[in-house]
Amino acid sequence: MGWLKLGKDRLRLKELGAIIGTLIFFVLFSIISDKFLTLGNLTSTFTMAAELGIITLGMTFVLISGEIDLSVGSTFAVVPMVMAIMMNHNFPSVLALVIALLVGGGIGFLNGFITIKTGIPSFITTLGTMMFWRGILLAVTGGFPIILEKSSKTLHFLGGELGAGFRYSGLWFVILTIIFWIVLERTSYGNWTFAIGGNVGAARALGIPVEKVKITNFVLMGILAGLAGLTTFGRFKIVDPTLGVGMELEAIAASVMGGTSLVGGYGSILGAFIGAFMIGMVRSGLVLAGAPAYWYRAFIGVILIIASVINARTRKKVAG
Amino acid sequence: MNAEILVEMKKIVKNFGKVQALKGVDFHVKKGEVVGLLGDNGAGKSTLIKILVGYHQPDEGEIYFEGKKVKFRSPWDSRSMGIETVYQDLALVNLMPIWRNFFLGRELKKRIMGINFLDVLNMKKISIEYLKTIGIKLRSPNETVAFLSGGERQAVAIARALYFGAKLLILDEPTAALSVGETRKVLELIKETKRRGISVIFITHNIYHVYEVADRLVLLEKGKKIGDFQKQEVTPEKVMEIIAAAAGIGAS
Repeated sequence: MGWLKLGKDRLRLKELGAIIGTLIFFVLFSIISDKFLTLGNLTSTFTMAAELGIITLGMTFVLISGEIDLSVGSTFAVVPMVMAIMMNHNFPSVLALVIALLVGGGIGFLNGFITIKTGIPSFITTLGTMMFWRGILLAVTGGFPIILEKSSKTLHFLGGELGAGFRYSGLWFVILTIIFWIVLERTSYGNWTFAIGGNVGAARALGIPVEKVKITNFVLMGILAGLAGLTTFGRFKIVDPTLGVGMELEAIAASVMGGTSLVGGYGSILGAFIGAFMIGMVRSGLVLAGAPAYWYRAFIGVILIIASVINARTRKKVAG
Repeated sequence: MNAEILVEMKKIVKNFGKVQALKGVDFHVKKGEVVGLLGDNGAGKSTLIKILVGYHQPDEGEIYFEGKKVKFRSPWDSRSMGIETVYQDLALVNLMPIWRNFFLGRELKKRIMGINFLDVLNMKKISIEYLKTIGIKLRSPNETVAFLSGGERQAVAIARALYFGAKLLILDEPTAALSVGETRKVLELIKETKRRGISVIFITHNIYHVYEVADRLVLLEKGKKIGDFQKQEVTPEKVMEIIAAAAGIGAS
């Protein structure tokens, strides 16, 4: 990889694995299917990327701070379910939205609080809450989908059409990516998140409020996972109790493809964006190529490994 | 005489369960003085220092800083009064660049539209320039700490403490893992610190590492102070003998 050393600082990109992967698939799918490069396909790709990507932003923060959240797939379903039930009981939609997002934040807070106060790994905490919330969901719905009985302007602003095939979810994804990039790279809070994942002892010795930052990241994660679920709900007007199953692994995969380290201290919001986009692209690309749906998972698995190998190499160049 | 004393610890006792880690230790550091704090592993050196900086609370005893009685409830308290500690492994975050490490926890900010953003340009500029003024030349503030040598890392951590106005600098085994050349650089830096009128506590179990720069040597063993010498009064060999003898007697 000698060519990577050109312009030293510039090309040691954290996001290199994701960029290379995205380019390869972009070219590949463009050749395989003549429908791939149509506006209709690109916009629906972006919608899928957005719904996953909003979760990935939060996951990236959680991973950088040295934690993990496996419960996001359940949160992705619980939050829209809360909103759907409230709206079907004639609560104002804005109130339902606020309460639903608070529930998302509450789920995140619980994850963080249990992890910090008991000292058990967040992998275990959130594995537990993932099962717990999914169970609650199935119990409340009896396993049946909840269908929204009315149309709603609020929901339109979450997942409805924006024009030219784009949806509001895509807009939110772009806005949130910019905000979270700024927070991570240009505020003390982002600096502390990196430090906590990189060397928690040093962070403590320097007076950084480790617990507060970690819990806040979990809360943000819960809100974002909920918001992502709401954008899907806004698109379909229906909440299936199995919505979001496996989503946590896709979000982690997108984050890792984007250059974020599973052991903390290292990562990129831009990479999260590209990683989510790549997964969305592979999903739509395979459908257009006429491949059966189950190939999608196999494909994502291969990409994950390849991207991680590339990222591990660049990481060595950046950080020894 | 007393006016010169920066920090004084009196009759410090600390128990951990049934283990008596410190058995009434007196310890002081004068202004601009370099004190070597020596002792074998488990002698109580780090417990004493952790009490001084507020990481532990003493069971008995008093601490005076600049003549006033103090009670530090956390390292944050002592830091705000100018006591900076450079721990061996807890000083820097290896995955982060120099400038982020230099200002970690005390970031420079600029307000744009009511929001505090990191003042990245100034932090990069100040960190690399300050390192230069104390004789440490590094390539770029963007360099990740993982790429620095052990000596350079110590230098960055010490420079950071000086920049933020330390009055007392505590170094925990700063030369333990360094080559001979690197050790020299760190010792030079300690001399520079002293020239600036800042006091230093140099914790080590190796007398040869501290002998050159120390003004005074304090020896701990089994939670007791077993020696307190001006450097001129003792040779390194004599210090080794005292420590070995104390450890030997305690063990039999």
